[in-house]
Amino acid sequence: MPEGILCNKNVVDSKEYLDALLADKSGKQYYEEMRHLEVDKEKLKNTLKASCKSRMRTWLEMCSHCALCGDSCFLYLANRKDPTQVPSYKIQSTLGEIVKHNGDVDNAHMRYCMDVAWSKCTCCNRCGSFCPYGIDMGVMFGYLRGLCFSQGFVPWELKIGTGMHRIYRAQMDVTSTDWVETCEWMADEQQEEWPGLEIPVDKEGADLMYTLNAREPKHYPEDIAEAAILFHIAGENWTVPSEGWEQTSLSMFAGDWGACKMMVESVYGAMDRLKPKRVLGTECGHAHRATVIEGPYWVGRADGRPPVPYLHYTEWVAEALRTGKIKIDPAKRLKIPVTLQDSCNYIRNYGLGDITREIMSYLVEPGYFIEMTPNREHNFCCGGGGGFNGIGMYRKERNVALKVKRDQLLATGAKLVISPCHNCWDAIRDLEEIYEIGIKWSFLKPLLIKMAIIPEHLKPKEEE
Amino acid sequence: MFYQLITGPLLWLSFGIFFVGLGVRVVNYIRGLDWQADRVAYRTYMSLGIKGALRSIVHWLVPFWSVGWRAKPLYTIIFFVFHIGLVVTPLFLYGHAVLLKERWGITWPTIPMPLADILTIGVMVTAVFIIIRRLGLPEVRIVTTCYDYFLILVSVAPFVTGFLAVHQAGDYEFWLYTHILSGELLLILIPVTKLFHVVGFFLSRAQIGMDFGIKRGYKGKGFAW
Repeated sequence: MPEGILCNKNVVDSKEYLDALLADKSGKQYYEEMRHLEVDKEKLKNTLKASCKSRMRTWLEMCSHCALCGDSCFLYLANRKDPTQVPSYKIQSTLGEIVKHNGDVDNAHMRYCMDVAWSKCTCCNRCGSFCPYGIDMGVMFGYLRGLCFSQGFVPWELKIGTGMHRIYRAQMDVTSTDWVETCEWMADEQQEEWPGLEIPVDKEGADLMYTLNAREPKHYPEDIAEAAILFHIAGENWTVPSEGWEQTSLSMFAGDWGACKMMVESVYGAMDRLKPKRVLGTECGHAHRATVIEGPYWVGRADGRPPVPYLHYTEWVAEALRTGKIKIDPAKRLKIPVTLQDSCNYIRNYGLGDITREIMSYLVEPGYFIEMTPNREHNFCCGGGGGFNGIGMYRKERNVALKVKRDQLLATGAKLVISPCHNCWDAIRDLEEIYEIGIKWSFLKPLLIKMAIIPEHLKPKEEE
Repeated sequence: MFYQLITGPLLWLSFGIFFVGLGVRVVNYIRGLDWQADRVAYRTYMSLGIKGALRSIVHWLVPFWSVGWRAKPLYTIIFFVFHIGLVVTPLFLYGHAVLLKERWGITWPTIPMPLADILTIGVMVTAVFIIIRRLGLPEVRIVTTCYDYFLILVSVAPFVTGFLAVHQAGDYEFWLYTHILSGELLLILIPVTKLFHVVGFFLSRAQIGMDFGIKRGYKGKGFAW
């Protein structure tokens, strides 16, 4: 039985298939079928020929095996310097073998590749900045994930996630109707405290179009309310699209490039329809990478930029604080030791290190902000990036991986870590649950709402 | 007769393979870059890219300038002593300059012999350290292959033989010939093995520099390598 019923080379493009996957608890049948899945060597060979170009082939061939990348990898450090966690070893023994044998590899090798690609690398790209040749193994693991996906070797949760994207254009089963209703519900709920607050859907020509993460409408609708409150305070002319609102991409984690393209097209389609002046994404790292940094290339934009200037949430916050659209009450500034989690996706890979520190200068009382070591572009992954947080079969490995962030946090002595990234936020929450180091964690939105000075005209009128 | 052969046609052949081979490497590398697959808008942001590329190369060309070099000071010293010796000694050795003068009348700058000796000893000693490191550290051992040892031997052989020849240890002619032959072997192997990093280093660093320069460049500062 080369092709399984659940585990096969097909993409999830029907609700029936998606439901069948969801019904398979923990992917038991799925992973059992994977053990017998045949490798389409011809297809693999052709994919390599078409997509494995000089940059990657040079990286694989030229690696001098110096292992300087070892200490750069948080997974190597978290696993007590296990030599099999050296990035160079990880990539040479997986993608390196596939390329060396020109796709002539077996089922066992592909399953090994899957384990390494999703449980021994989060595509944080840190190794690339410590290799003298600049060999970026995160990039190569992203590519390897694509090869694995095309052959059907992908963790169960991500097969589901990418199926969600294909069917709902969202990482969770949130339809356009669900989404618009959630916006209306959240706007209604706030009326008492924030009279006149709106969540304008599909408004054309707004200054800002807001995009977010499907789990906000699905599990944390208050996050949408918080975003709306802050736009309300700042007096923004904003909107959300009824379609193309989901910015994240589990398909990027899965290596399903077809679904990645669909997602980006859906967001860019909303820009086209609503013609906003700028677009703003939520406090999420990978969503930014998927829609702003890599997305333009997936849809073939030669300038590598989205069609409309696209801000990360931290950029908007810094701007709002700088221009006084949002004013912070000095008495409410944080007076506890605070540190900041640098998200790989928009700090290392996008250069917003100064922007986030500018925000800290407004929110934290001088003397209370403590940097992690290392930080900025050299910061370690939270421990759960690249989809690691969400894969059940690699939970144990993920929990070990959190140790590096745990020790970094402990060394700062901070009581609160500000984490403007969903993935980092989750990882730190889990880290606290497992290791109980007594740290609190927060997005920017709730902190800003607590600290902002509310303009008089926005306050609810006292009853006569 | 044999001397004429190995310092004449064979030398030409070696240099030919060296230069043509490296040229082919450079051309193939650049032709194989793909803006969409690499996700780097090379053409659209050429100036941002070039800035990023230079930054990326320079930071790693100067000892201790990159965060990576500072993270491993001992290795960095070994690495630079090894590479400086490898490049500077053959290029500016008095003995080599004399050949250039005799054959083509070209005057070539040279370094004093004691310095050449020190650099050569540096290459040999650091090569031993590199081998010990490969054997001793588990993280290096796991990625090391026989091919890596072979390349170290090939790279160091012209230095050992040259050193023995210059200092007349044993049979001068034997060491001279093995020096010339091992030097030629190295020239031939550079473009066809991963020793092509003599150009590959610059290409790869430039590429990653362009990548980071372009994706970060319009928002943040250049990458703090």
